[in-house]
Amino acid sequence: MQVKGIDRYWNPVLETLPREKLQALQFKKFKRVVEWGYQNSKLYRRLYDEAGFHPQDLKTFKDISKVPTLQKEDYRLAQAKEPYPYGDSLCVPLQRVTEYHQTSGTTGQPVYQPDTWQDWEWWSECWSYILWAQGFRNTDRVFIPFGYNVFVAYWAGHYACEKVGCEVVPGGILNTEERVLKMKELRATALMATPTYVLSMAETCRNKLKLDPGKDLNIQRILCAGEPGASVPATKKRMEEAWNAKVFDHVGATEIGGWSFECSAQKGLHANEAFFLVELVDIDTGEPIEEPGKIGKIVITAFDREAQPCIRFDSKDVSMWGEPCECGRTFRLLSGGIHGRVDHITKVKGVLFSPVAVEEVVRSMPQLGDEYELIVSKKGDTDSLTLKVELSPDNRDTQENVLQELSRQLRLKTNLAYNIEFHPFGSLPRYEIKAKRFKDLRQGH
Amino acid sequence: MVTAEVDLKEMDKIIKDVKAKILRLVEISKGMQCVDRNCDRILASLKMLELNISDVVEFLD
Repeated sequence: MQVKGIDRYWNPVLETLPREKLQALQFKKFKRVVEWGYQNSKLYRRLYDEAGFHPQDLKTFKDISKVPTLQKEDYRLAQAKEPYPYGDSLCVPLQRVTEYHQTSGTTGQPVYQPDTWQDWEWWSECWSYILWAQGFRNTDRVFIPFGYNVFVAYWAGHYACEKVGCEVVPGGILNTEERVLKMKELRATALMATPTYVLSMAETCRNKLKLDPGKDLNIQRILCAGEPGASVPATKKRMEEAWNAKVFDHVGATEIGGWSFECSAQKGLHANEAFFLVELVDIDTGEPIEEPGKIGKIVITAFDREAQPCIRFDSKDVSMWGEPCECGRTFRLLSGGIHGRVDHITKVKGVLFSPVAVEEVVRSMPQLGDEYELIVSKKGDTDSLTLKVELSPDNRDTQENVLQELSRQLRLKTNLAYNIEFHPFGSLPRYEIKAKRFKDLRQGH
Repeated sequence: MVTAEVDLKEMDKIIKDVKAKILRLVEISKGMQCVDRNCDRILASLKMLELNISDVVEFLD
């Protein structure tokens, strides 16, 4: 057959497969993983038996919505059993597990993630789709400024770089200044980091090392993970301007895998629909959402994981479908990336509120520094929003003017009023991996 | 953008042939770890070829 874009796509066949064929492939793979989970995992067998579902009930694509969703708590409960530490979620003999990782535990007990060597190859395969779409090639020297530890993301990125043919420099142990100097010394061409750390490194460059990251270093592309910043236009702009580089988003999770990526067109996040079934469902009713522009919650299946399958996992990430991408991929786009998490989108003073909207406002104002902190509390019966910001060292405007402009923009974008506090530049917390800028101190939140 | 005539069915056939050879290698190794562990890695890579090529062949014209 004629295959177009052999140089453009990691897999030109799968990435441009007509939608009806892609859906047929997805259904075949979905049935295969459901059968695998049911036959080999006590967790899935119990979940499905209790719901009165059997894999043979899957007759058409529409039947997928009959399959019970899996919650993070289901993994936790299953992992409290033997064999330690994976318990009932494990689908292979323990001796076949070669990789251990875990979730960060931000929402409770971490979930342990076993992977076989085949799973590990799969991780780097999924990430290869991401890297190739973002222009990573064997001419790149990629710097990863983290000690990878028990968290999977940068391990997978590292191995995928090797698969794609890049040269990888693991930058753990070093402090931020040493990392920047190492990148400069080695003339690294690419970087992987959280948006928070990308901005923090740029700040260290400018303020401590007196270097301009966009001129004195050679970074041409940055792959972001862990936070939604690279899909927040104002944050992306800040990073791209600071580093004079293209910044790309990607979303993945330990339990799921690296399931989405921004391509060089930078129009949103492509779901890798050859390796994952990405469903968008109504947050309240669970009804499927197919039309672009309607907000929903993402439910994901990884088709090909064997040690601990991930089938209809409730990711709690919120997004919406976008229009088809100009890049030629038939993988659907999630417009605006991940808009937040169901547990972060909350009502404040009766208004539906997403912290990402505040990030967009703060980062769009050049008078402000990169860091901010947002706190929701309750004063008597009334919700109160406090936003802590720093004035940028380059700011020439008066604090009063900045305050007025910030209040106006926040009111416009979120329909809410804020108590705004200005703090000295450099005094708000700086983070290396994921930032914790949003705190909801109200009882029950 | 590079376009080429690609024979995916032939690729699928070769993937199956290679897999059969590796499984045969494991069978005759009688448990030699230097063979079995390396074959395990090759099989994992072959699985990625199956996911990329073999799985989709039946849906192509």
